Amino acid sequence: MLTLLAKFLKALNSESGVWALAFAFVLGMMMGFTPLWRLHNLVIVLIALLFRINLTGFILSFVICSGIAYLLDPWFHQVGYALLSSENWQPLWQTLYQSAFWRVLQFHHTITLGSFLLSVLFTPVVLAVSYVVITRYRTHIQAWFNKLKLVQMLKANRFWMIYSELRR
Amino acid sequence: MSTSNQTPVARRSTIRWSGLGVFLIICGLLFAFSWLLLDSILKWSIERSLGTLNGAEVNVNRVEHRWSPLGIKVQGVQLTDPAQPEFNRLVIEELMADVSVEQLLLGRLHLEELVATGIRVHQLRSKPGEVYQSLTEQGNFKQWTLDSLAELNMALPDVDEIVARIGLQTPVAIEKAKSSVAEQQAVLQQVKQEIPTAEDLKRYEEELKKLTDVDIKNPAQLQQVQTQFAALKEQFEADRERLKAAKELASNAVATLKTDFDAVKNAPASDLQRAQQLIQFNSEGFTEITAVLFGEQMRQWSQYILLAYDTLAPILARSADESLVQPQRGEGVWFEFTQANEPPSFLVKKATTEFVWGETRVDANWTNITHQHQQLGQPTTFQVRSDQSPLWQLLNLNGELALTDNGVDAKQQWQVKGVTLNELGLSEQTEFTASLVRALVDSEGAVSLRNSMFDGGATVKLLDMVVTAEAENRWADVVATALRQLQRLDINASIAGALAQPEFSFSSDLDRQLGSALKNAALDASKTELAALQTKLQAESSGFLGANQDVLEGLTALLSDAEQRDKKLEEMLKAKFEKQLEDQLKDRLKGLFGR
Repeated sequence: MLTLLAKFLKALNSESGVWALAFAFVLGMMMGFTPLWRLHNLVIVLIALLFRINLTGFILSFVICSGIAYLLDPWFHQVGYALLSSENWQPLWQTLYQSAFWRVLQFHHTITLGSFLLSVLFTPVVLAVSYVVITRYRTHIQAWFNKLKLVQMLKANRFWMIYSELRR
Repeated sequence: MSTSNQTPVARRSTIRWSGLGVFLIICGLLFAFSWLLLDSILKWSIERSLGTLNGAEVNVNRVEHRWSPLGIKVQGVQLTDPAQPEFNRLVIEELMADVSVEQLLLGRLHLEELVATGIRVHQLRSKPGEVYQSLTEQGNFKQWTLDSLAELNMALPDVDEIVARIGLQTPVAIEKAKSSVAEQQAVLQQVKQEIPTAEDLKRYEEELKKLTDVDIKNPAQLQQVQTQFAALKEQFEADRERLKAAKELASNAVATLKTDFDAVKNAPASDLQRAQQLIQFNSEGFTEITAVLFGEQMRQWSQYILLAYDTLAPILARSADESLVQPQRGEGVWFEFTQANEPPSFLVKKATTEFVWGETRVDANWTNITHQHQQLGQPTTFQVRSDQSPLWQLLNLNGELALTDNGVDAKQQWQVKGVTLNELGLSEQTEFTASLVRALVDSEGAVSLRNSMFDGGATVKLLDMVVTAEAENRWADVVATALRQLQRLDINASIAGALAQPEFSFSSDLDRQLGSALKNAALDASKTELAALQTKLQAESSGFLGANQDVLEGLTALLSDAEQRDKKLEEMLKAKFEKQLEDQLKDRLKGLFGR
C-alpha cells in the first residue's frame, strides 16, 4: 500500500524544474485565495494535472494560501463590492449576468470576483518571487535544510525510504 | 573523430496525459459525492440562506429531492423569531415544490407549485435559536402589554401619598399670613402714633371756641384774632395731612390682612379639591383597561391576521436589499443585475399553504411570491377563506403586497364571524383576577401599508360574553363588577407605525364607563381620609384666624377712628370763623357810627 502511494507521489512529483514549481505555487495560490467550490478552480486543477506542474508544490501552496485567504477575505470582499457596485461597470456586469456561462462562474459574488482578480494581479509577482526563491534554495538552503535533525528523523521513516528508492 | 555512444534524450511532452485521468477521477468523485450528499447540501443551503434572510437561526429536519420532474420536499422547517429567540415565528411541517428546470439553467429559481402544510406561528422552540441580526418587531407591543399589566395597580389610592404629592396650600397660606400679621402690627403702632388723639381734638375745639367767643372791639383786635385763627388752621391742616397718610397706611394694612386671612380661610377647601382631583386622576390609568386586558390576546390574533406582512414581507424585503443582509465573515455578497423586463430570479408562481390553528386547518392560496415585483409587474396576492370550522363560522381574508423602491406597499381586508372563545385568562394579579369564560367574536377590518408604514383599523365585537372577575379591594371591585356585567364589548383597534414596529391601540366603551365609575369609587374609597384631612386643615385655618383676628379688628377700629377724627378736623376747618368775626366787628362799628 505504501509502495503504491509512494509511486503515485513520485508520478506527481516527477516535475521538479524551477518553472514547474513556480507555476505550481501560482496555481495553488489562485485556488487557495478564491472560494473553493467555483468552476474556475476545476479548470485550475485540470491545468495543474494536465500540464507538467509539480503537484506537491501546488497542494502546499493551495493549503497555505487557503489559510491566508481567511485573513484577506474582507479585502477581497471590499474590492469585489467596489467593482460590482461601481456605476461605470454596470453595463459590463449586466451583460455578463445575462450569460449562463458567466453566471456559472459566479462573478457576481464579491469575494469570488475580488479574490480572483487580485490573484491574477499577484500572478507575475508570485511567479518571479517563486523562481528566485527556488533557485536560491537549491544552491544555498537545501544543504543546510537536509542537515537538520528533524529532517533526518523524517527521512528515517519507512515511507520516505520507499519513496527515495523509487526516485532513483 | 570520436563518435558519441550517448542516446539522445527525447524531449518530454508538455502534456501529462496521466494527469487527465486523475482529473476525470476527481470529477467523478465530486459528482458522486454531490449526488450522494445532495440532500444534506440542500438542507445546509436552505438553513443558511433562509437563516440570513430571517435574521435568525433556521432549522430544517429533512430534505429530499427528485429528478423527474425536478422537485424538492422539505420537512420540519423552523424559523426562529429574531425578536423572541425562544419562539419560532413560523413552523412548516412539510413543504413540496416543483422546480422549473428551464429557469434553473438560466440561474433563476422558479417554483411552479408550492404546497406547504402544517404551518404554525409563534411556537415554543426546544432551545432558543441563534439570532444573527436583532430585530425589534412587535417586541415593543409585547413589552407594552406586559408593562401595563404590571402597572395596573389595583391598590387603593393612599391619601397620605397624595397629600404629599399635591403640596398643601393651607400651611403655606398660614405662614404667609403670620408674616403679614407681624408686619401689619408694626404698621398699627406707627399709625397710632401718627393720628391726633382725642385730647388733641378737644383742645382744638376749646381753642377755636375761645377765639370765636372773643368780643371784637376794633380792627386791631380783629387782626390779632385772625392771626391766631390762621395759626390754628395751619395746625389743623398739618394734622390732617398726617392723618391722611396714617389712614392710607391703615387702609393698606387692612386690605393686606384681609387678603391673607381670606387665603387662609379658603385654603382648606382648595387643598381638599386638589386632593380629590389627584385621586380621580390616579384612576385614569384604568381608562385603558381594554388594551390592558385584551391587548395580549389581540396581539396573538394580529400575528395570524398580519401573517403575510409579519413574516413574508420582512423576509422578501431583506432578500431584495443586499445591504440589509450583513454577510458573515468570508461569506461575501451576491449581486443581482436583473433588468426591468427580465423574469424575477426567485418566483413561486402558485402556493397553497395550510395553516394550523388549534385543531383547525385553513388553506391560504398565494400567487407570485417574489421580491422583484417591479420586474414581474404583479403583486403577491393571498386569499384565505374558510367556512363552518369548529373555531369560526366564517373567515375571509385577502390582500396583496409588493416591494417597491420605497419599501413595502400592501393592502389587506378581513372578515371573521363567530369565533368561539373559551376560558381565556385576562388578568392573574393578586388583587384582581379575571377570565373570559366564553364569548363569540366577530371582527372585520382593513390594513394598508404604504412605503412600509401601517395604517388601518378594525372592530372586534365580543358577543354573548361571560366573564368571571374577582377583586380584593373596593376599587378593583369596580373593574371586576363592570367586567362581570359585560355581555357585549365592541373594541376598536387601530394600527400605525413602521412595518418592523407596528403600534397598536385599543379602545372601547368599557374604558369610558370604567373611567367614570372608577373616579367615583376612588373618591368614595378615600372619603374617610379626605374628611380627616379637611378637619385637620380647617382646624389649622380656624386656629390661626381666631388667634389673629384682633390684629385685623384693631387696625379696622383704628382706621375708623382716623376717619372720624379726620371728619372732625374737616368740620373744624370748614367752620366760618373769620366771617363770624368780621360780622361781629361790623355790627360793633355800625353801633358806633350809625346811632
